[in-house]
Amino acid sequence: MSHETTLAARVQSLVAEAIQAPVELVTPELAFGDLPQWDSLGHMEVMLRLEEQFGVEIDTDVIARLVSVPEICKYLEENAHVQ
Amino acid sequence: MSNDRREANQPIVRLEFQPATPIPEYLTGEVQSKLAYVDEWIVGAEVAPDRITLQVALPAVARVVDMILDEPAALTNDRRAELEEKVQRVVLSMAKGAIKPKIQVLEDYLDRPVAYEKDPLPELIARGEVSQEANGIFALGPLVARLIGYFEQQFLKLADSFGAQPYRFPTLIPARYMERVNYFRAFPHSLTFVTHLREDLEVIDEFSQHAACDDHGLTTSPEAFARIQALLSPAVCYHLYFALADRVLQEGHATATAVGNCFRYEAINLASLERMWNFTMREVIFVGPKDFVLENRETARQRMREVFESLGLAYRVESATDPFFIGEFRKQAAFQSAFQLKYEIRARLPYKDSTLAVGSYNYHQDFFGRSLNIALPDGSPAHTGCVAFGLERMALAFLSQFGLEPDSWPKEVRRSLYGLPAA
Repeated sequence: MSHETTLAARVQSLVAEAIQAPVELVTPELAFGDLPQWDSLGHMEVMLRLEEQFGVEIDTDVIARLVSVPEICKYLEENAHVQ
Repeated sequence: MSNDRREANQPIVRLEFQPATPIPEYLTGEVQSKLAYVDEWIVGAEVAPDRITLQVALPAVARVVDMILDEPAALTNDRRAELEEKVQRVVLSMAKGAIKPKIQVLEDYLDRPVAYEKDPLPELIARGEVSQEANGIFALGPLVARLIGYFEQQFLKLADSFGAQPYRFPTLIPARYMERVNYFRAFPHSLTFVTHLREDLEVIDEFSQHAACDDHGLTTSPEAFARIQALLSPAVCYHLYFALADRVLQEGHATATAVGNCFRYEAINLASLERMWNFTMREVIFVGPKDFVLENRETARQRMREVFESLGLAYRVESATDPFFIGEFRKQAAFQSAFQLKYEIRARLPYKDSTLAVGSYNYHQDFFGRSLNIALPDGSPAHTGCVAFGLERMALAFLSQFGLEPDSWPKEVRRSLYGLPAA
């Protein structure tokens, strides 16, 4: 399993938990609004869990950019110590 | 924050303690406003990052005990602990892990010179131009009513410039509608409920013969009232969204305007004309694709900038958040801030060296489109936004900056209202 796949899988799992959706519905391309659960409250839950689980501090400016699984992965690759 | 929630002769005690977690400076005002809803005994609160001070009104009976024992009235330890625990719960919920909002200033004309610096309300009351019927409920006389009429003309011109269709909406709004858009979860503290006597001859007879009021309101038993089916509407635009619910917008977009009475209960935060329980809003509402809503919201801001400039109003437009209740506050406020969903027009109040939100430019993304199944022709959910103006606040801000004498008002306003020649 490649580094990218591992990270994507972790993010998918985190998003599923945060928005309380079955993990199989959280596809690698899923974006804010694609599922009813990924609404404003769901999005903020995703952000809070990213901070907790990846040790990043997400600035208000960034919250509006991290609106899909690929965007989150890209942000974590650039800002978090991910393995 | 301090207001009249108490009866005469109720002893007041002061309660001070440290917050369970430090409160960021930017959150102190929000936390303070929420303490109004923590306990009916709290009649005042001040919040600093490292200190909370409560004014607590003891029951009037404590005054009697106080006189008999010749000791100052005091809170029991249990009651003190209970109050502190409730306040700490609010603090932790709002401040722990709070995300600092980024304040974006779009317009800043706060330093425009103002001609007046006094609080206009005492003089308005003295002249009979404003009378307070109850806490948060005011009647307005000809001076303020005419001024509001002037601002209405300006807002209607704005609405016309978008070809907005006029609507008239009811003051009541069904509880089921509000449930459908999650309003109960987001703003439970400010709801105002409507009821009526149960359809029962005995109940109605009993009421007609014995109904009476004390300092707290009607003494009638709650059991005499029917279950709540409706609320007093907290905003104007919701009615349009409900009218469009479960429909496809055949033309792809809609623009509407309406004025309406709005109701937000603010407990001891209710203060003068600044924060009324019953107030009036004029809204211009946009429904359609994302770009349609955002572009019109921006165009409305540009057009209103010209209106405010011609008035010489001292104000600022900056990003803001709605007053979500405690449980939702942290996440919803951060989300609104991050996505720049709300900008407030904050007019200067020279008499208190502060500002007051007199209007706002709002974008709701596709929240109402999804929640209420308002679809665009391609089947995707509609986006919505509104531009809203608080008419009483607009008049108050104007009077605070220009005074009560029309002679000192901008010539355009005098000409429009009184036909007076320019000075």
